[in-house]
Amino acid sequence: MKVNKGTSLPFYRPLNPAHIEKIDGAARWILEHIGIKIHDRHFLELMDQGGATVDSATSTVRFSAERLDKALAEAPRKFILHSRDGLNDIRLGEDRVYFTNGGRVFRALDVNSGNYRLTTLEDVANTAALVNRLAHINFYIIACQAHDLEPEHYHLNDFYHAFNATSKHVMGGCDSLVGVQQVWDLAALMAGGEQQLKERPFFSVITNPISPLTIESNTLNILGFCCSHGIPATCAPAPICGATAPATLAGALTQMHAEALAGVAIAQIFAPGSKVLYGAVLTAMDLRTMDFTMGSVEMAMMNAAAVQLAKRYDLPIYASAGVTESKRPDVQAGSEKSFSNLMVAMAGGDCVHLAAGMLDSGNSISYEQYVIDNEILGMVQRILAGINVTEETLALSVIQKVGPGGNYVMEDHTIDHMMDEFFYPDLCERHLFDIWVQQGRPNMLSRATAMVENILEAHKDCLDPQLNSRIRSAFPGIKDV
Amino acid sequence: MAEFNALTESVIKGDIKSAVAETQKALETGQDIQSIIDDGLIRAMDDVGERFSKGQIFVPQMLRSAKTMQECMKLIQPHFKEGDVKAKGKVVIGTVKGDLHDIGKNLVSMMLEGAGFTIIDLGVDVNPEAFVEKVKETEADIMGMSALLSTTMPAMRHTIDALKEAGIRDQVKVMIGGAPVTDDFAREIKADAYAPDAGSAVIQTKKLLGLS
Ligand code: B12
Repeated sequence: MKVNKGTSLPFYRPLNPAHIEKIDGAARWILEHIGIKIHDRHFLELMDQGGATVDSATSTVRFSAERLDKALAEAPRKFILHSRDGLNDIRLGEDRVYFTNGGRVFRALDVNSGNYRLTTLEDVANTAALVNRLAHINFYIIACQAHDLEPEHYHLNDFYHAFNATSKHVMGGCDSLVGVQQVWDLAALMAGGEQQLKERPFFSVITNPISPLTIESNTLNILGFCCSHGIPATCAPAPICGATAPATLAGALTQMHAEALAGVAIAQIFAPGSKVLYGAVLTAMDLRTMDFTMGSVEMAMMNAAAVQLAKRYDLPIYASAGVTESKRPDVQAGSEKSFSNLMVAMAGGDCVHLAAGMLDSGNSISYEQYVIDNEILGMVQRILAGINVTEETLALSVIQKVGPGGNYVMEDHTIDHMMDEFFYPDLCERHLFDIWVQQGRPNMLSRATAMVENILEAHKDCLDPQLNSRIRSAFPGIKDV
Repeated sequence: MAEFNALTESVIKGDIKSAVAETQKALETGQDIQSIIDDGLIRAMDDVGERFSKGQIFVPQMLRSAKTMQECMKLIQPHFKEGDVKAKGKVVIGTVKGDLHDIGKNLVSMMLEGAGFTIIDLGVDVNPEAFVEKVKETEADIMGMSALLSTTMPAMRHTIDALKEAGIRDQVKVMIGGAPVTDDFAREIKADAYAPDAGSAVIQTKKLLGLS
């Protein structure tokens, strides 16, 4: 299945229009009367010059209705997260749903031993290689911490190895201004110049405010760099219901909406027209124990509602789904991931991140889970594509031809439509019982293990050798994996 | 045994206002201090603990009850005679340098406070010198460090080194935690304890101070 055209999105709307207006009104009130805390004189001045209301005594920035609306009007409704080969461009704001993996975990599951280990640069390269091959993971987010790297050339290396393993768009967090500058320099060389990179940016950057209602100066440094260099970015709030956000879903949505709109508005003050995604990463605490829960069903509902809130302003959204507390690829992982991926996709989230590869509340990845989630996402895309009803698909003439008591197996009509009507899973069990036994009783996980091996074995570097040698001589800080 | 049903009820409910009023009333009517504590406050907290372990109440309620008890204790304290009760222990806590995650650290603080410890919270991105200074200044019994990033875990080691350099490593017990932190890591950097969650942090703290 191809990425859906999404003509009839959204199917799922947890909020009705009156709810949306209530939440939006309350969020705007927050921005006008409470504001966002920024502990940095330089940025407070910048916001002041940009027409926001700055209270230096409390280090807060507030937005009048007019200033907010002006900023939001400047934010692009549509833009593209480019792939390097042009085959997997992410067209935001066009009622399409794209999925991507989750980033920056610190450990990986070894399915064979059942143990977890710290992640390395090789895991960045391998997960990028998986995403490159997996059709339903539409772009790549730097998946894990490379614990074998020193901070000095950190982002030069994690982005380089991602670029080398996939030609899909690459997104990632950057720890510092120096880090994002390194990626920019690398990408500019790859693009053939800064202007070329600005025209077709093939990487983008994730930043986060700190809920409730605070943004660090380091975050603003990085966001500011992106805005002034034409790099698409998001400043995605990650409030936790019952801890850093109210325990009510509506309250958490209200606070998150204020934070997300502030991120978009601040980006426009940095540079009007900045390509910024409204960001939302809503989760909750299990209040029985105060355990952090990403895979809750409320998470799925809130993140779907967040799509509606972003669409209230026609803004493309960096939404979240596909997470679980489960520590291995199991029944819980499969059901929680399916629920949230489906619900946020049915709400029409432009890009749904965390959708693949993660386990253990976003602390861990498993290669096998990438492959399994890819299959879940393929099914979700199939659902979004809907049921095609035309004269041809109604099939009246072939029904008449076959007549009562016949069958359709060898009909032209069957052969004409078999490829585009169905999603064909690679991992799900579909054989008869005896065949299944003959095959050694495979299951989704055992098939995923084999598929991971195949993909990684067949993988070839994406960077052209000549370009690669230019990169390597220009950036001696790059390490091999 | 004196009856403090209204007080007990208010502490169980976490109703600070009425619990404080009930405590005030008990003090004014000359009730025995030890009895207010034992038959009023502690009886309430025993009940809260039992309800929590049965899953009848949740963490926010338990923390509210603990907070309510503390507020009552503040009223009672001035009435203590010298040596009546000794403070349970002082904990200096913070998230280590380079790390801004504080939700887990705050939960640990709330639980410890609820269990009767005095908390000095240094916040986030705390450099080793700031930890050392605060430990010295407050003569803390425990120093708690939180790290949520695998990349800031080395700062825990540096902070312990700084304690050594300041010559106060043996005067304070070090407890560490945070999602990427492990028991092995605690042993490796010679911390005195590791706890995987806030509940176990209380147990570890009591152990370290010989209270259980
Ligand atoms: C919420 C969150 C944020 C929020 C933090 C808000 C806040 N006020 O703290 C925001 C959005 C700001 C954030 C930012 C970042 N985050 Co973050 N974040 C998380 C998340 C999702 C949850 C953490 C949390 O609060 N858990 C809930 C609490 C209750 O649990 P806890 O902290 O583990 O605490 C319990 C125990 O560990 C223990 N404990 C904790 N501290 C202590 C201390 C002592 C003394 C003891 C005894 C016990 C103890 O008791 C607690 C209660 O039971 C985690 C993923 C996860 N599942 O942990 C990622 C995570 C930790 N973040 C991560 C990353 C990468 C980042 C960023 C770098 C992202 C970026 N922008 O690129 C920045 C870093 C900023 C910085 N310099 O610190 C990674 C870390 C990977 C790694 N290398 O280790 C994680 C794993 C997620 C991921 N895959 O990306 N993050």
